[in-house]
Amino acid sequence: MIKPENQISIPTRQPAGPRLSIPLRFRDRRRVTILMTLIVLAYITLATLPTMIPSHFKLGTALTSFAENIKIMFWQPHLANTTFITLLGALGQSILLAFLTTLIGSVLAFFFALASTRRLAPTYLVLGIQSLMAVIRAIPTVLWVLIYSVVFGLGANAAVVGITFHSVAYLTKVYADSMDELSPGIIETMQAMGLKKSAIIRQAIIPYMMPSYLSWTFIRFEINFADAIAVGAAAGAGGIGYQLFMSSSFYFNFHEVGVMVYMILAFALVLEIISYRLRTATN
Amino acid sequence: MNSDVQQVTNFFNTKRLRLSIILVIFGLAYIGASIGLGFQTQSLLNVQAGIAWLIHNFIPNEASQGYWNEIIQQLFRTFIVAVASTTCAAVVSLFLAIIGAQTLTPAITVSWVIRCLSSLLRNIPIVAWAMILLFSFKQNDLTGFLALFFMTLGFLTRAFMETIEDFGTEKIQALQATGATYLQVIFQGLLPEIAVALMTWILYMIENNVRDATLVGLLTGTGIGFIFNLYFKSLRYGAAGLVVLSVIILVVAVELISNLIGRLLS
Amino acid sequence: MLTVKHLAKSYDGEKKSLTDVSFSVQPGEVTVIIGPSGAGKTTILRSINQLIRDDDGEILFDNTDIRQLNRAQLRQARCRIGMIFQNYNLIEPLTAIENVLHGCLGTKSNLAGIFSIYRNREKEEALKLLEKVGLAEFAYQQCRNLSGGQKQRVGIARALMQQPKIILCDEPIASLDPKSTITVMDILRDLATNDGISVLINLHQVDIARSYADHVIGINNGQVVFDDRIQALSDTAIASIYQKDANSEGSVVHEF
Ligand SMILES: Nc1ncnc2c1ncn2[C@@H]1O[C@H](COP(=O)(O)OP(=O)(O)OP(=O)(O)O)[C@@H](O)[C@H]1O
Ligand SMILES: [Mg+2]
Repeated sequence: MIKPENQISIPTRQPAGPRLSIPLRFRDRRRVTILMTLIVLAYITLATLPTMIPSHFKLGTALTSFAENIKIMFWQPHLANTTFITLLGALGQSILLAFLTTLIGSVLAFFFALASTRRLAPTYLVLGIQSLMAVIRAIPTVLWVLIYSVVFGLGANAAVVGITFHSVAYLTKVYADSMDELSPGIIETMQAMGLKKSAIIRQAIIPYMMPSYLSWTFIRFEINFADAIAVGAAAGAGGIGYQLFMSSSFYFNFHEVGVMVYMILAFALVLEIISYRLRTATN
Repeated sequence: MNSDVQQVTNFFNTKRLRLSIILVIFGLAYIGASIGLGFQTQSLLNVQAGIAWLIHNFIPNEASQGYWNEIIQQLFRTFIVAVASTTCAAVVSLFLAIIGAQTLTPAITVSWVIRCLSSLLRNIPIVAWAMILLFSFKQNDLTGFLALFFMTLGFLTRAFMETIEDFGTEKIQALQATGATYLQVIFQGLLPEIAVALMTWILYMIENNVRDATLVGLLTGTGIGFIFNLYFKSLRYGAAGLVVLSVIILVVAVELISNLIGRLLS
Repeated sequence: MLTVKHLAKSYDGEKKSLTDVSFSVQPGEVTVIIGPSGAGKTTILRSINQLIRDDDGEILFDNTDIRQLNRAQLRQARCRIGMIFQNYNLIEPLTAIENVLHGCLGTKSNLAGIFSIYRNREKEEALKLLEKVGLAEFAYQQCRNLSGGQKQRVGIARALMQQPKIILCDEPIASLDPKSTITVMDILRDLATNDGISVLINLHQVDIARSYADHVIGINNGQVVFDDRIQALSDTAIASIYQKDANSEGSVVHEF
């Protein structure tokens, strides 16, 4: 609070009575919320966990078999039904799929975000677009791909469109959120100078949101890579996911699964190094 | 004066040039990736065909009303699996994150082991988890639970660890200076301060796991994912539409509840 | 130049933030608005370029009522009204020269705004203005790396780039150290005296007002309680501007 210099005296007055009760109540509300949420979660978990275990289930056998498979996967990876080159190609396909969907998604989502940020758009557009995106986000990627593989036929088109749907919905929300963080004063200043909307977007919004745009887009690329694998397996859309599915549920060959998992982990490691670099570069 | 103006011009030209180069690179990468995948760009313009098809075929009809019972039941199972796996993973993650966070770890090697473990759990594709577990645990909810559990464990351990590290060493040292023990520092100092952040992560993960549970169900033949696949493959589109609708309702409801809790926490 | 008549504004439709405010601003003069916190100084300034829509009155700028203009006309009018802020509101990731050039985008096309296309004359002008505010060597610095005083001077250069007839300043020196305060106030004073621009400043520092203003407007509780040359600003006048009357008490206590 800025006060005039002391050559004039301003009669100040204390607010009537200390208002300690408000912060206290504030803290309390948080604690109660956290406690209640934890109790509900714990109750659901404890009450239902036993019902998940099938009636005559031999935990011991399952665990030994699981440990055995993990061991096969990580300690004895080798190929039987495919070649390494084929798998490398398949991994490349999954990476391309992730790249393409992230690229298309980030461009489309940028425009949707502009139309749904509180800083620029009218409330009805903000609410309309954000609700639509929430609904699109609610449908799992696999279902989108399955649906589009009926319309376009099984293949790259369905996979790209299906994953893009989810990417757009996700990125629109996070981009719009990061645009919302821009102080309203900045936009007002540009308006006060008589700038057009296009100029405000290009000269004020884009420079400010560029760092968060890049980092969210990269995060989405990682998600899309995981989605590309999942979709390949569950919707038969090709790539390393499909190979993984075939080896594990068709040939039951966990040696082969091991090779693929190592390949995927290697790429994930590359991504993690890049993201670490990005984070240290922007900070 | 003139050379100064030239300098400004050059400044803007350099900026524009850099932007153009980036755009050209991404344009070429787009074309390359499209060719590599066999993706036709015009199919983006046919997106509405999919929506139209969806609306036309997925409108639940008379016959599909009979499926409500089964769908509600499976939806409930899926929700339970998502919540239970997140909750269990959160408990273990918190423990791992506390002994793994660089500010609290008893030994730096422990920190690195936990870091690697969480990275491993997170990056093994959920498909691989589901398939290995399916082989050993067979077709039941437990398989889905475990697949989600392992992935969530990896994710939350990392997230919790970063939250704790953001909390900083100063506050911890301030408490240690009063003579508090390790456990006292954690329960009196750390946990109350980061509770809100942890809660936010847990809620986000539940939201995410409801969606992923559908995928896992599809792969392991359980829950809502399984019946969607069943109806879809047998061309009972009305019933499949009902499944999609119910998933939307569930996910949106979870999102709304978690937003509400988030607002109460802020 | 600028004449405000019977301006009224209420944010919530109930409590009046401005009631019947009238004053006018002469070219080539520094006019200072003083008054206690919450008196309505910011509200007046923002009504002048219609960043907030007031409820009633007249704002004559160049003999047209700003309040009657449509959106496109308002945008054009705003191009000739410079404004500088307490927290500068620069585009911090961009360089000083880019921020200054933003000042002339209002009169340019969409394309120019999107691709940052400027004429040589404008670039020259921007460089000249940066030199005028003493920042020639900082032209290519990102604004986030400048000090507060430097940022405010970039803000002034940007406002000048608009070739304004009037500059509105909302507490321009509230976040500055004494030395930067003097630099900034000297620049504003010089603009009025030598360039004939009207300068309208919201201030909290009465001593600064005394040494820089030509004219003072005192606001209390949304009303003009003093409107005279600076020489007439006696200590009793100041006391009456800053005094609290019965009905403003509640809001002022709330502010502190
Ligand atoms: N956005 C707003 N919504 C509601 N009331 C507002 C808003 N902005 C200002 N007010 C009210 O209008 C009155 C005048 O506020 P204004 O900001 O114009 O005061 P000011 O003289 O600039 O004060 P300060 O010296 O603290 O900046 C105050 O009572 C304030 O509570
Ligand atoms: Mg103010």
